[in-house]
Amino acid sequence: MYTRSLICLVLLAVFSVVALGQQAPPKTNLKVGDKAPDFTLRATDGKTYKLSDFRGKKNVVLAIYVLAFTGG
Amino acid sequence: MKAYQADIAKFDATDTQVFGMSVDSVPANREFAKQLGVTFPILSDFKRTVVKDYGVFNEEQGFGNRATFVIDKDGIIQHIDEGNEAIDPTKVADTCNVLMHKKAAATP
Repeated sequence: MYTRSLICLVLLAVFSVVALGQQAPPKTNLKVGDKAPDFTLRATDGKTYKLSDFRGKKNVVLAIYVLAFTGG
Repeated sequence: MKAYQADIAKFDATDTQVFGMSVDSVPANREFAKQLGVTFPILSDFKRTVVKDYGVFNEEQGFGNRATFVIDKDGIIQHIDEGNEAIDPTKVADTCNVLMHKKAAATP
């Protein structure tokens, strides 16, 4: 009986550590309807792009992969 | 990003510029684009300022999230996909379609 309780406790402790180790990914503070923060960045084609340059011209899709080499 | 590449014609048709973005250097992104066969530009946020502005980077943990933002011609965010949701471009493409038609409806 004691052994079983002990095993349960140990398992509980292990699961807690695992749960704590898995940090939730950061959630964006931006919402639909917010103004998109402007940026000026260099791209793979050697050009430098400024978000506000597209205003009145094109919609922009921004697919952000902080760690790019994760595929997808 | 591969999924976006597959749909790139759809985005072109809706008057939309697609960008990838990562915190890797331009040469690393070029290699990445080559491997995936991505033709749209991938922006390099090497200083990690933009990913912070967009709330997809946690500085303390050095940990990032995947997210896609659709920004309309007025610079307003119209759609956000986060995490695993951001892999499938369907909702993003739909939003771009709606934006295009909205514009078409406004101009007689």
